[in-house]
Parts: sequence; structure tokens; C-alpha cells
Amino acid sequence: MAMQSVQTFMDSPLTYFGESITPMHSIAREELAELQREAMIRRFAEHRQSIEMVRKLADRLDVSAVDKFDDIVPLMFSHTAYKAYPPALIDNNRWDLMTRWLDKLTTYDLSEVDVEGCESIDEWLDRLETQTPLQIVTSSGTTGTFSVIPKDVPITIEGMHIWKNMVFQTFGKEPTEDELDPVVDVIWPNFSEGRFGMTRMVPWMKREFTGGDESRFHPLYSGAMDTDLMFLANKMRAAAAKGELGRLQLDPKLAARKDELIAMQQRQMTEVPEFIARMTNELRGKRVFMTSTYNLMYSLASAGLDEGARAEFASNSAILTGGGAKGQVLPDGYMDVIREFYGGVRIQEGYAFSEHNGVHFACEEGRYHLQPWVIPFILDPESSQPLPRAGTKTGRFAVYDVVNQSHWGGVITGDEVTIDWDSPCPCGRTSLALEHTIMRFSEKKEGQEDKISCAATHEVHNEAIDFLREFQS
Amino acid sequence: MTAFTVPLFVRGQLITDDLVPFASRLDHSFQAPDPAKHAHALPLRSPSEMADLYAVSFDEILDVLTELGVALAFERNPYIQEAYEACLVSNPMPESILRTGYVALPTMFSRESMRELAEAQVGIDYLEGWVPRRLLDGREIRVRAFGARTLHIPAGNGGLVAGITVLRNALTRSDATVKAPSNDPLTAIAIARTLADIAPDHPITKHLAVGYWKGGDEQVEEQLYKPEHIEKIVAWGGLASVKHVTRYIQPGLELIALDPKRSGTIIGPEAFEDEDTLREVAKRAACDVGAGNQEGCVNARVIYVLSGTDEAGLQKANRLGQLVYESMVGLPEFISTTPKVVDRTLLENVEGSRLTEDWYRVFGGEHAEGAIIVSQLDEPVHYSTLLSGRVANIVPVDSIDKVTDAVNAYTQTIGIYPESLKAELRDTLSLFGAQRLTSLGYAASVNFTIPQDAMEPVRRMCKWVVEEHCSPDRVLPLWESRDLTPMPTTM
Repeated sequence: MAMQSVQTFMDSPLTYFGESITPMHSIAREELAELQREAMIRRFAEHRQSIEMVRKLADRLDVSAVDKFDDIVPLMFSHTAYKAYPPALIDNNRWDLMTRWLDKLTTYDLSEVDVEGCESIDEWLDRLETQTPLQIVTSSGTTGTFSVIPKDVPITIEGMHIWKNMVFQTFGKEPTEDELDPVVDVIWPNFSEGRFGMTRMVPWMKREFTGGDESRFHPLYSGAMDTDLMFLANKMRAAAAKGELGRLQLDPKLAARKDELIAMQQRQMTEVPEFIARMTNELRGKRVFMTSTYNLMYSLASAGLDEGARAEFASNSAILTGGGAKGQVLPDGYMDVIREFYGGVRIQEGYAFSEHNGVHFACEEGRYHLQPWVIPFILDPESSQPLPRAGTKTGRFAVYDVVNQSHWGGVITGDEVTIDWDSPCPCGRTSLALEHTIMRFSEKKEGQEDKISCAATHEVHNEAIDFLREFQS
Repeated sequence: MTAFTVPLFVRGQLITDDLVPFASRLDHSFQAPDPAKHAHALPLRSPSEMADLYAVSFDEILDVLTELGVALAFERNPYIQEAYEACLVSNPMPESILRTGYVALPTMFSRESMRELAEAQVGIDYLEGWVPRRLLDGREIRVRAFGARTLHIPAGNGGLVAGITVLRNALTRSDATVKAPSNDPLTAIAIARTLADIAPDHPITKHLAVGYWKGGDEQVEEQLYKPEHIEKIVAWGGLASVKHVTRYIQPGLELIALDPKRSGTIIGPEAFEDEDTLREVAKRAACDVGAGNQEGCVNARVIYVLSGTDEAGLQKANRLGQLVYESMVGLPEFISTTPKVVDRTLLENVEGSRLTEDWYRVFGGEHAEGAIIVSQLDEPVHYSTLLSGRVANIVPVDSIDKVTDAVNAYTQTIGIYPESLKAELRDTLSLFGAQRLTSLGYAASVNFTIPQDAMEPVRRMCKWVVEEHCSPDRVLPLWESRDLTPMPTTM
């Protein structure tokens, strides 16, 4: 195999496959496996040098090189690695120590980052992003912390480009110019800006989809989602679970913003009907890209249908949903309600998680076909040993993402998935796929009422504002 | 799938009709009479029907209970054996530890220990009759502790909770409706059936009903949880179960909440005096963590160590961590084993800590056998509320203030080493909310005679009724008092 092509595959898979999803999901499994294996060997060699935590783990396990897929498994990080810092560091504004921690998880050298005088999470993230190429993705946790994933600018741009490229294409058809590089209206049922969770994508999405035209971006809420407030909400849940809510210390800086945040919360009451009106009137017949989690898509759809309204976008629009039910109970037939409201537009389902790159789109059979740069593993949930890559296996999902550049590509997720390793999917794609049912292990047991997931962020944001309101009255 | 039947026991009668399936906690199912159809049969028709309990003496009650204890012997009692079998598939506790609980069950019903419990928590005289006393104002009072119509929602961690529930009910001459837990669906029924075999018509058999319905099943609970049927609810266990019961609380229906609790440990600098002491301390701490596989509220989870947080202090804490881990995995099988069920979210977090060497050292845990995480700063892990299945967190601290900050109303037991530190801390820790301070190593050694969760539940299960005798020549008659002005206006 030519050196150049492996390097292209791992640095810019879209280029390697000629920007078309058809070859991307038609490559012979053996051929892809060899490509992936080569890329994995190279990426590990690179990251062993450049990521301290990978080096330490490899040294501890006495691994200097990998060869077979399963060799990488002991070197994978649990997804919790990105939130394993002590939350006291944030409470005490020890951004120097937070930076030192993050430094060990990324290829970039953060030792020179100046965090002097930082007083909030958002400020810290700002400092990191202005002084390094990092683009940090955060996501909520269950125990009073949140994940901090050190992605960078190149991968964020590439990722968004891949996104746009894929949502409009159809497998088995040569992509048209109109599908590869469209300029569309973006419908974003979320906060208009912010750093937390999915809101981090907003500037990149605008850049990629709207051709930089601000008026083509349609957020649900006008305010910014506030990371510090999300952290407070997480902490409140954790404190309530410990019976320590009364002792929660409130950051005076956040308390000072109480009125601003309450005003935002009140404004949101009127924004939902306005948003539905905008979707069903102003955007009627327009070509749009819309993405959100199932439950938000569902609640907007059912609220719209209750008013007798329907969104009638141009038929070459693209809607992407997913995110699992994320702890929220959706009624049976929720997809039917979504389809009814959004009419004749293709609605794709995707599976993704922040610790790696890419959205895996569901085919007509409902299986999530894995993007070629992601090497899948199914681990025994008890022993974390990789299960044989044969037959139909259910277990903990783990991946090695060869494209990953600023952080380690090996991650063990909290999800239970099923892969049929042998039979090809009737949809015609050659790629391996996850069966449609994906469960979070944490949701498989009782007593997880304190869980915060990204789908509930709006509610959580509100809880925190209500707390601020009570705290000072 | 293992299927078994959880009958309804209603005051001596066994109901096995109208079976419907239920899921238990560990992917197994069982069947039980449709609770919606049978709930009406559970409560006592009228409070006057409790009169029969007062026709028997306390000693006679003890006679029956003593006989019950003998009959509960694990190797001879098929009901108990079946209850144990049901736990094997519905309870996260492994075989060897479950067996320990069932083997210990009869000792709870020994005459001496029952007398000790009744005397310490209520006073046998008060249970047996009217206890007279003269007050300063001249009146004579007589106080008696009456039983109440009580609903019990016991925890399912081992058969002992079912045992103590039946025992407390009988000793207080109460009327019990017991809602069996899904993770121990049969022990209360087994005890009730044994009781019915040895004393079919005895009032304490007639005042016991046991059944299963899903906690939160409004169809059942709205019928049952009313002041006309029930005066008190004794609710053990999880936040969810206690929380949903609170909606039924109203005047006339009292909640005795044995809330979800967590326990901790404080180890003084004396532990590091010499190697032998350190090993002894590690062994005791390991027992507090590992006993019953850390399924109980009494088990140690976060262990504060006054080792200091400088380099030397951290080294001491790490050494202790290693020794606690070694002792814990060496505990005998009837006390502790590799957990049958592990919380995977917890283990994911432990793996996160393992990678974060700057702040955590993790001993063990690679085979879900249990782990000791030693913080390298004076803060517990952020997931401390998840600690279970023999995973504990050692936290080195410089001063005791850091520890008292972590003690609150959710703190049940604190195991302390050495004894002098316990004496020094007991007044402060109690103010913060701690409920039981014990010698390190004894957290899981539970005695039901002592106060529980900072109250005396058996005393609270009773209705304390007073009869006053006021003779006008001794107690000032209100109707004859001449000048009312000095009396408070609120009278």
C-alpha cells in the first residue's frame, strides 16, 4: 500500500474517498481493515510521543508498538478520562492545574498558556483557544463534573466539512455539486451561541452551511448557553445527592449575573412559539439543514402539530437527528410524529459521541454504518476484553479513531451496542454497522435520577437560574 | 429466566390467585397475585380488631417469637431456603454472604436479645401495661406504649431486615402490612408462613400481612396509604422509595424514614505509628469497606486519613491504600467476595482516575474485584456517591475541619481510629449530622438494640398514650381559680 494513501486516509479521509459517501461505504472490508491497521500503527507511534498520558499508559503496560487491532485495546482511555480532574480545581479557580491536567491529554504544548486572572470556565476555555489551536468540546457528566475534550481547529473544520458533505448525499449516487457545497438555512433548536456541548459547533456550522450569512442561521433561543451555569447545575445535582445543597458555595461572579440570566429565561417562554412560526412560515419552501436530538425534534414537532402547523421545507433539505433518548422517555411512534411534522424531507438518524470524530448515519435498515476512519471494538462489559470480531456480538462499544489528531483516538464508551461482524447489510453498504438499539450502561440500572444529559440542557440551565433566583431572594 | 411465585400472606391466609409477572432487579422475573385486585384485603378492617393483641402477655409474645426463631433455622426451613434461592437471582449479594444473613436470622429471636431490644428502645413495662408517675403539679399519669397500624417498606439487603420488621411489629403489638422488596421478595413471606405454621391463630400472626407490589404503583398505594387504614409508614432504603412515599403523608399518617445513608471513616495520625498498627488499621478499614460487599448504608466509602497532604503524608496514605486493598481482597467469603454485580459507571470513573496519576492512585479494580482509590489531594473523588461493590476512596487531609465539612444528615456511621479521636470528635460530628460513631472495623457489625439513624424507631412505632388522674384537692381546678390575669393570654 502506498505510504501516501495511508497518510491521506488518516489525515483527510474525505479526500481519500473523493468526497463521496458511496466509495466510503463500498470499500471491501479486508481492504479497509488493512488501511485502518496501517493508520493505527502510525497514529499510535505519533501519539505515544506527543500525548503524555498515552506514553505513560504504554510505558506502564510495556507497549512500544501495536500491530493487530486488539493490541490497541489496553491502551484505550475510558471516556471518563476527560472528566477525571478534581472538580475542586474549578471551584478554587486553579486554572493552572486544570491546564496542566489537560496538557497531558493533548498533542499541543500547553505549558506556556497564560491563565493568570482567569475567573470562570468560559474564560479558561477562551484563553486556551486564543493561545493554542485547541477547540475544546465540553459535555455534561453525571457526578458534578463535565468532560473537557481537547480537539483542535483543523479537525473541527474537517469534521464540519464532512458533516455538510454527507448529510445531503445519497449512497449509491454520484454526488452533485449542489449536494457537496450547498448554501442553506440552518435551523438550530438550541441556544444561539455558547461553548457547552453542541453549542460549540455554532460558529463552525454557520461558516460551513450558511456561506457566512448570519441571517440564514435560525436558533431557537437568542441567549448564549453558559458553561459556568451548566457547571453550577451539575454541581447542584451532585450536592443534592450528597445532601449538601445547603452548603453549596456560589461563585459571586455568577451570582452578579442573576438578573441577566433570569431575563434570558423569561425571554425563552415566548421564543418557542416564535420559532415554530418561523419554521412553518418564513422558512416554508426553503432548503434547510436542521439538526437536533430526538426529544427536541419531537417536542417541537408535536407542539407544531397541535397548532395544526407543518414545516414544509424544500425537498432537498436535510434533517439529522439522534442522540438516543438520553434518559428521557419518548412516546412510542415518536419518529412518526417527527416525520409527520417535517413532511417530505429526508430525516437521517445519526450516532456520535464527543470523544471521537464523525457521525455514523443510519441506513434504510436502521443500522448506523461506521465511518471508515473509526475502528470499532466490542468489549466484554465485565472484563473489558475485546470480543472476537466474528458473529453477532453485543457489549461495550470502543473505538480507535485514526483521524484524531489533537487527542488520543482510543476510547471506551459508556454505550452498549451490537455489531454483526459477518453478514453484509442488505442496504448495500460494505461498512460495519451498529444495530439501531444503543443503550447507555448508566441508564440500564435504577436510581439514576440525578443524571444530566445533553438533551436536557435547557431544563438544566433553567434549574440553575431558578437556584440563583432563590439563593439571593 | 428464573421464575418463582411471591404469594400474598394476609393475616394467616395464603393467596396465590390471579398471578401477574414482575421483573426483579437482575433480569429475573417472578409472579405474584395481582396487587390491584387484592390490595383491599391487606389492611385491618377496624382498629378495634387490635384488641386481641392486648389479651396476650408480653411473655407469651416472646414465647411465640422464640419458637419462631428456632423454626427459622436455615437448614430445616423450606420457606427460608426458598427465600434464599429467590435472593440468589434477585439480589446483587453473592451466595456466601446471603447465606450468612439467613444463618444469623434465628439469633435475632433469642429471648434475651428480644428483651434487651424491647427494654432499651421502649421499656417493657410500657409495652405491658400503664406505667404510673406523679408530676410536680400533683397529677398522676399513667403512660402506655400502644402498637399502631403500620406499613413497612423494608430494604432488601439480606434477610435480616425482614426479620427485624416482623420482630418489631410483634414486640410493639402493632399491626403490620409489609411491602416486600423486589431484591428480597420472599423472606418476609417465609417468616410469616413459618409463624402461621407454629401459631396459626395467634394474634401476632393475625396482625401480619405481606405482599409484593411495585413501589410507586398508585393503584395499590392510593387504596392502602390512607389514615383510615394506616397510622405509620416505616420506609427504609433508596431515595426513590422514600421520596414517593412522602406524597401520602398527611395528618394522621406519620412517616418513619430510615433514609438512604452513607457512612465514612476517619483515621488519625496514630495509625502510622508502626507497621503492626498500620496493618491492624488497614484490616479494620478493609472490613468496614468490604463487609457485605459494601451494599449497606453502614459500609465505609470515603476514608479520611489525617496523614497530611505533603509528600510524606501522601506516601503514608498510599501505603495505607495498598494495605487496605490487600486486606479487603483477603476477607473471608462469608463476609466479602468479588461483587456479583458491579456499577459500570463507577468502574468507568475509576478507570478515569487511574489515568489521572497526578491526583489519584488506584489499587486494584482491574477485574471488578474492588478497588481503593487514594486521592493525592484533600478532596474525595467527584463520583464518591457512586462508591459501592468494594470501591472506596482514601482522602488524606491536614486537619479535621476538612472532614467535618463532609459530614451531614446523610452520614450514618463513622468508623474512627483511634478511640481517643472518637471521644474528641463525638460532640462536633453529632452537630454536623453524624448518627453513629463506632470503633474502626465495627461499622458493619450492626446491633438493632441501639438507636438507628439518630432516632429510636421502635419507640416511634408506638403510640404513647397517657391517662391522667387529676384530683381537685391536688391539682389546681381551673374552674375555681379566681384571678386569671397572671395567666398567659394564649391559654
